[in-house]
Amino acid sequence: QDEAQAIDQELFSEYKFSVDQLMELAGLSCATAIAKVYPPGSFTTSRPAVLVVCGPGNNGGDGLVCARHLKLFGYEPTVYYPKRPSKPLFEGLTTQCQKMDIPFLPEFPAEPALIDELYGLVVDAIFGFSFKGAVREPFGSILSTLGHVTVPIASIDIPSGWDVEKGKADGLQPDMLISLTAPKKAALHFEGRFHFLGGRFVPPALQEKYALNLPPYPGTECVLQLT
Amino acid sequence: IPVSPQAFPLPSLPRKQPTVLVVCGPAQNGAIGLVCARHLRIFDYEPTIFYPKRSPDPLYQDFTTQCEKMDIPFLSYLPTEVQLINDAYNAVVDAVLGAEAEAAEGREPCAAILSTLKLIRIPIVSLDVPSGWDVEAGSSGGISPDVLVSLSAPKQCARRFLGRQHFVAGRFLPYDVQKKFELNPPEYPGTECVVALRALR
Repeated sequence: QDEAQAIDQELFSEYKFSVDQLMELAGLSCATAIAKVYPPGSFTTSRPAVLVVCGPGNNGGDGLVCARHLKLFGYEPTVYYPKRPSKPLFEGLTTQCQKMDIPFLPEFPAEPALIDELYGLVVDAIFGFSFKGAVREPFGSILSTLGHVTVPIASIDIPSGWDVEKGKADGLQPDMLISLTAPKKAALHFEGRFHFLGGRFVPPALQEKYALNLPPYPGTECVLQLT
Repeated sequence: IPVSPQAFPLPSLPRKQPTVLVVCGPAQNGAIGLVCARHLRIFDYEPTIFYPKRSPDPLYQDFTTQCEKMDIPFLSYLPTEVQLINDAYNAVVDAVLGAEAEAAEGREPCAAILSTLKLIRIPIVSLDVPSGWDVEAGSSGGISPDVLVSLSAPKQCARRFLGRQHFVAGRFLPYDVQKKFELNPPEYPGTECVVALRALR
């Protein structure tokens, strides 16, 4: 976790990347990976409806970007974003989604069965690699509802609620994980079908410095399938 | 966030090293060139940048730092000996002037750059508008790019484009903007952010 935070810090302070830039590339990777594994035509629901659950931090921001690109890729995303930071970055991302006619739910579906009926996929953009400690409401209830859905869940960077290094045996078990920048230790505990790498922006010098040993991305793709 | 043209059609490069020269002007078109150079580096090309007149905009300064920290060299001058450019690079990215340019092309260093670019023999990829062209009427006697990447939507001068490939990079435009300006964009394949328009020849 410390290393992931150090890399992030270096990208912002030394390399002068803005959070906007990297969040945009990260969110785009997530949408691209999802489109490769669950193309719109493969949905059993009548429309390619996706529920994107966004948490209170940067992982939520990644989710907002992802939702917007999913819309451009032909999906029908719906966002649930209960705790919104009052920062221009997140307000901007929210407006961009709203102006693309992406609905924001006023409340979270109470029953897992309702989610299964309405959506063909759930994107978990609740907590990311900075997550520490206890899960605060409303996310505790959200995660326990998500624990009972049968439609696939795609988690951004870390399955929400997991310890960033040790994982969580009784926690969320997503079908897909999109690791951003580099896989975190928790990814060793990932047992879903699809593990992708996204966030193709790490300068070669930084990769070497932290011995990331990332496999090469294919061509000009912004995602790489690891399993 | 500027779009990074990803579909640079260089499947078989004539030079052993995948070198590309990215020439960046003083305004937004140049900044897009900086972002493009960074992504080319990530894609394992070897870009070199010529950016003689740097914008004071902090965002564009950050783009410059990002490129420098990625070990992308910045030339201190553009050789007037055109053969040197032809020999060293596989292609040139023209990010000198975009649709907003008016009198800029008459001013240095753009004028000198453009007269050099008119003489090179390696392919030129122009971002949005071939630099020096009038954004509506086009240009006679201006540079002749091999590839044009129209940003958001083709500009009127694109009708005069006679090069090999024309791409549009406009997938991120919200639908209401597309409708408002009656853009009628083509379908983008899969998750691609660029689409090739029908070649003129």
